[in-house]
Amino acid sequence: MGKVVVDQMAMQRALTRITYEIIEKNKGIDNLVIVGIKTRGVYLAKRIANRLEKLEQKHVDVAEIDITKYRDDVDHSQQEDPKVLDNSVKVSVAGKNVILVDDVLYTGRTIKAAFSAISELGRPNNIRLAVLVDRGHRELPIRADFVGKNIPTSRKEKVRVSVAEIDDYDSVEIMDD
Amino acid sequence: MTTRYLILEDGASYKGVGFGSEATTTGEVIINSNMLGYQEVITNQIYHNQIIVFTQPSIGNTGINHKSFESIVTNAKGVIAKEYSNISTNRLGNLSIDKFLKQNNIPGIAGIDTRELARHIRIKGSMKGSIVDIDDEHAYDQLNASVLTNQQVDQVSTKAPFPNPGDGYNIILIDFGLKYSILRQLSERHCNVTVMPWNTSSKEIMDLDPDGIVLSTGPGSPLNLPESVLEMIRTVQKNVPIFGMGLGHELFALANGAKIYQMDIEHHGSNHPIKQIITNKIIYASQSQGYAVDPKSISHDNLIVTYVDLINKTVQGIRHRDYPSFSIQFSPDGGPGPIDSVDLYDEFLENVSSQRR
Repeated sequence: MGKVVVDQMAMQRALTRITYEIIEKNKGIDNLVIVGIKTRGVYLAKRIANRLEKLEQKHVDVAEIDITKYRDDVDHSQQEDPKVLDNSVKVSVAGKNVILVDDVLYTGRTIKAAFSAISELGRPNNIRLAVLVDRGHRELPIRADFVGKNIPTSRKEKVRVSVAEIDDYDSVEIMDD
Repeated sequence: MTTRYLILEDGASYKGVGFGSEATTTGEVIINSNMLGYQEVITNQIYHNQIIVFTQPSIGNTGINHKSFESIVTNAKGVIAKEYSNISTNRLGNLSIDKFLKQNNIPGIAGIDTRELARHIRIKGSMKGSIVDIDDEHAYDQLNASVLTNQQVDQVSTKAPFPNPGDGYNIILIDFGLKYSILRQLSERHCNVTVMPWNTSSKEIMDLDPDGIVLSTGPGSPLNLPESVLEMIRTVQKNVPIFGMGLGHELFALANGAKIYQMDIEHHGSNHPIKQIITNKIIYASQSQGYAVDPKSISHDNLIVTYVDLINKTVQGIRHRDYPSFSIQFSPDGGPGPIDSVDLYDEFLENVSSQRR
């Protein structure tokens, strides 16, 4: 076990606040698509969408994207990359206001890959970024519009996000290497 | 052991045994159904000019202690109970309720059937009452002739600013009838708090470079306060996050175009389930309200309803659509009552931190 820096209550609050901030910035939830980056970003995206629906009593589209194809740190020659969007999902991003959701913002390379993945699906009106944790150490000029918690870290540390849907509990932990 | 009477505006009379002060007083009679925390209730400024009827059968058995004061000056006009105890078994309680009420010039009556009294008031609605020695015609004339002030906030609010130092966020607390639990919660979170009088202008507030504003609970109707208070809220919310509670919530709603109505039956207790709409979570909290925000008057353009009472369906919380400001009707700090929602203080400070980023 690492050191718990965000417990269940604090994570719920962070997602609640992000939800309200999305309504503030977006002036309502019309024309919105919530896009979660696999794996944990998807669960966070669904929770945010669920909250938006409860508050506004309107349907909110959620999409899950797989960014493996666009990552610059994996060897793409070995095997065929998974598709960005599951064939069964019919969500359009063209002309939409996209809220991209991920669990941890670190170097920014995942987000850059997500931008490429989203542009493969269409040309959104705009993209805003929501992350549960911003741990610093950016390698690209990327910043989040909605941050659950800023956690200063050293590069040696590992940040682990757990979500109840697949990990049985909600928490953010810092693990020493 | 002297016989004393509680007389009501509608002619009802209740006979009991006096304790506390021997004063004759007049106030609005309200029912409080909290099972615990009579000290917090009696010392809460929202009971200014009110006679508090406890439905909890026995009060006084944990004495009065220095940790549970919600204000130094106690403004309640009377305490009614089925039974009061002068024997305290609490290690902190070194003062009896009888002595405490004597010190503060508040009369009490015990031996009254408070369940019958509660029914009476629930059916007939809130009304004036007096605690008197003899329930003759003269006493009723006096009661009917007395006019209760509508300047309650001005009477209970601090006259000059005072600090409650800390090394965290710079918070301005507007005192409409502050209960100390608000200060305790902010202190616990290391806030550097400045308590300001109710009629402080937005310029005076902004000159202190605040990170966040808290609008305190308080007595009476929000409609008794001048437009300048609403103007202050409208100006301040554009610049810093606001957290309003109780009267502060009603004022925040008024400032943003909603309407307030007086409830037929005031609700004082902590037995109503309250739903947090965004998560469907049910919480319990101490509620003391005579007024409520009219849900039909809430504009979808600028406000979101965040909490509702599941029993009387009243709006219990709202949030602004354009600014990170919110308010709640209930009291989240457990002074007295449940602390299910005490993390609303964290939510407020996270709004503050998010804005400073």
